[in-house]
Amino acid sequence: MNAIMRTSLALLLLSAPASAAELTVLTAGDQNMVDYVNDYLGPLFEKENPGNTVRVVGTGPGDAGSQKIVERFTAQSGAGSAKWDADVAVVHEKFAGPMVEKNWLLSYRGDIASGKLVTRSNADMALGTKVSGFVMPMFNSQTALAYNPALIPTPPKSYDELVAWAKKNPKQFGYNGIKGGASGVSFVMGWIYAYGDGSADKLMNGPFEEAETKKWDKAFASLKEFNKNAVLTPGNAGTLDMLSRGEIAMGPVWVDMFYSWQANGQLPPTMKLALPAPGMPGQPMHYVIPAKSPNTKLAEKFVALATSPKVQAEGIVKRFNWYPGIDAKHVQAELDKATWDKLFTSITPDALAQYGKPFPIAPYNNAILEAYERSVAN
Amino acid sequence: MSLLKFDPWWLLRGAVLGLLAFAIFGPIANLLLWAVAERWYFPHMLPLEYGFSFWARVFAPRGNAMVSLLNSVMIAVLTVGMALLVAIPAGYALARCKLPLRGLILIAFLIPQAFPNLPVYVNIAQLFYQVGLNGTVPGVVIVHVTHGLVYAVWIATAAFSAVDRELEEAARSIGASGLRAFADITLPLAAPGLMASAVFVFLESLDEFTGTYFVGAPDVSTLPLLLYTAGAGGNYQVASITALLLLIPSIGFMLVVERFLKADVLSRVGR
Amino acid sequence: MPGSPFPRDPFFPKIFLSHDLLPHDLLLGSSPVMPRYSLGLALVLPALTIIVLFFIVPLTASVIGAFRIGDGFGIGNFEKAFSLYTADIIFSLAVVALSTLLIGLFSIAIGGYLVLGENPRAVAILRWLYRWPLFIPFIVVGQILRTFLAKNGLMNNILVGAGILTPLQTTGLLDWRGIVIAFVWKQTPFVALLVSGAMASIDRGTIEAARNLGASRFRILWEIIVPQVRGTLSVGLILSFVTMMSVLSVPLMINAQSPTMITADIAFRINSYGDYGVANALGFISLILTSCVAWIYMRQAVKERM
Repeated sequence: MNAIMRTSLALLLLSAPASAAELTVLTAGDQNMVDYVNDYLGPLFEKENPGNTVRVVGTGPGDAGSQKIVERFTAQSGAGSAKWDADVAVVHEKFAGPMVEKNWLLSYRGDIASGKLVTRSNADMALGTKVSGFVMPMFNSQTALAYNPALIPTPPKSYDELVAWAKKNPKQFGYNGIKGGASGVSFVMGWIYAYGDGSADKLMNGPFEEAETKKWDKAFASLKEFNKNAVLTPGNAGTLDMLSRGEIAMGPVWVDMFYSWQANGQLPPTMKLALPAPGMPGQPMHYVIPAKSPNTKLAEKFVALATSPKVQAEGIVKRFNWYPGIDAKHVQAELDKATWDKLFTSITPDALAQYGKPFPIAPYNNAILEAYERSVAN
Repeated sequence: MSLLKFDPWWLLRGAVLGLLAFAIFGPIANLLLWAVAERWYFPHMLPLEYGFSFWARVFAPRGNAMVSLLNSVMIAVLTVGMALLVAIPAGYALARCKLPLRGLILIAFLIPQAFPNLPVYVNIAQLFYQVGLNGTVPGVVIVHVTHGLVYAVWIATAAFSAVDRELEEAARSIGASGLRAFADITLPLAAPGLMASAVFVFLESLDEFTGTYFVGAPDVSTLPLLLYTAGAGGNYQVASITALLLLIPSIGFMLVVERFLKADVLSRVGR
Repeated sequence: MPGSPFPRDPFFPKIFLSHDLLPHDLLLGSSPVMPRYSLGLALVLPALTIIVLFFIVPLTASVIGAFRIGDGFGIGNFEKAFSLYTADIIFSLAVVALSTLLIGLFSIAIGGYLVLGENPRAVAILRWLYRWPLFIPFIVVGQILRTFLAKNGLMNNILVGAGILTPLQTTGLLDWRGIVIAFVWKQTPFVALLVSGAMASIDRGTIEAARNLGASRFRILWEIIVPQVRGTLSVGLILSFVTMMSVLSVPLMINAQSPTMITADIAFRINSYGDYGVANALGFISLILTSCVAWIYMRQAVKERM
């Protein structure tokens, strides 16, 4: 056995002497994204591709992290570098579209085995831009209302109920505005889906019409009113922070962050999640490969491994309780029932399907944010 | 002061110093607690469970805490060296030579501190890509020098101005060359001030985040980069541990400086 | 003022400077053999080149960006910046000005006690104590104060535990007060270090004389010592002012409310809209504000010397 392994190792090394490379993975997002590659995916990949090493670099949480990846690529494309310094990047949905439009990315989904396992629409369209072929979703995340069941036995089932609840319990609901991270943004987008006079479908699917942006005045006026009963928290982490210290009883959070805080012992294990009607936006994180990556073949192998049903089951669902990136049915087959059910303890698959919305397409997204700045924050 | 008066004064002193200690060490205690907390949430005033599992995570073979620490220190040392190399002549000239637009020159060094750096670093990164400095230690050092030069030059200028000219003149009058007088008299006398400027450049470099990110990452990782990822994402344990690591070189350096500052305070006797 | 032939410009720190240097001493400074201007410029040039090449050039690119709209130029970015962020601009100025004031007062108090304190043990304790936050990066300051100052944070927990407050009396300080506390906490040691250095190098004679005449320590500090270290104090405060104007992590981590600091808006414009135009315009506004402060100070310093 040992001899066989040694021989095969030697063969591998002989057959691919040039493949000994360092694969650089840039990842936006929290420390747990870096840990995920460092602790799990990297070693796994190195075992399957001996001689190669994986180096992961976290570029920071939230949109700012993805924006920094964009800036790196902008600088390298502006400087006309022949080979860029990244092989794989993990970016937020919002940034995938612009990267595709600038022709920075390799269309690779057709080349890898797991490419066929993705059929969800958000893997083809990213906020109104066609990205199919260029991206593979790492996982899907969702915002939801985290709440303390000791104080709130029955969480609000809709935005209407939430508004009524906040009125009765002033300063017990907190969210992070729009400048401190996407969980607050998601809450605001959900508000516009619920109370905007236009059609939410149009916001999510386009096309962009200037007239549509005039239909939110009433919604923002009511949001401003609502804010009087709410607490503004400092950032995505700030909302969780205030929940963990008992300063607020409910607030919108990223489901993945919520679970990692619980795992880190920063949040009481009793906290729960709820997803109100008509729904709040979630988003996938995408794997992309720069067309000028120095190791495109290896990068494809890496993403293929990362999006294989086994890794999605072991790494994404079991380790982190994140929603898988590839279609759930392929992942479910790899998991025991208990683990699978744990994924849906707070939010049922039905609720997720019904109330897990995409973000508005990019031009609406920006228009809503700016309108918020103008009419609610100012 | 009589012995009777002594006691009530200590009450006041104790109260003020105690308050100050609380204001300073309270937040730092918070940092220390988070570094060893395994579980900590409301309504518990102190962590529920202590342990070092997060330390294991930070120092895991694949975690780059140690590499980042070494990088941070190396970059800071190089930054201090390079900053002093250009700041000593500049400070001397600003203190001693007749210069056109002197005020403007001094202000020029302030600009990197005064302008919000984010948009500037984006442009620097683009420039560095073209000349191959991006992702290299020299590139990061240049950015840090630019940022810290205001301390180096301003304090060096002050240090040289404080040196008594008559000593220099005396050396010159007994036949020492200008360079000799500078090396033997002026430089040693200005050394404490130059040390002070070195400290600030060192600490500035150690703290610097934005420039390092744009110019250094992913090839050059420093502690603030690690800290930023952990801190802004709300992983308090990892952030606190990284912050503690960041404090080690600062405090080590400050202990050395402590000695020189005492000497400087004593030196007022002769002034 | 620029072009002043006097090397003893007030606009540099007099930290270790004896105050009795007379102008005529200065003329002896540069070597008579060397042409003064060119020698001085040659010595300053390397440092200046670094600043110009690695900051002023990219800065200019950014300032040009502030006026760039599409393919042309205009002031549209500034119009947008003012229409959305006027409150934030005023807020930033107010917060930073208040912080600067408090930093100045605390540094004078600390420096004054170090010079005038009569109890060597208390002086030693203070000297050891005040400098700690100097080590700590802003991002860590934001991080630790966020969990310290919160309504149910460690500070209030300790105060409640010690029986000083009841749980109902606690309030969170995570708004403008939190930013001010963070800035003062981090910057006071820096300014106090500069100021106490300057105070230490003041001639003790006048202080002793005033004390012999029976002046209170407070009066000695305020009327004799502070005027003599005003130059250093101003330099320290200006450095703090501009530093605070460009800190991003503290407002992001501590202040969630609106209005917020300009830096948070800059980051938001870039991260959420990829809008460098308005971001550059905000940066430019911030540059103007800080330059104004430096300029007012310089004017005043020149007037005093005339």
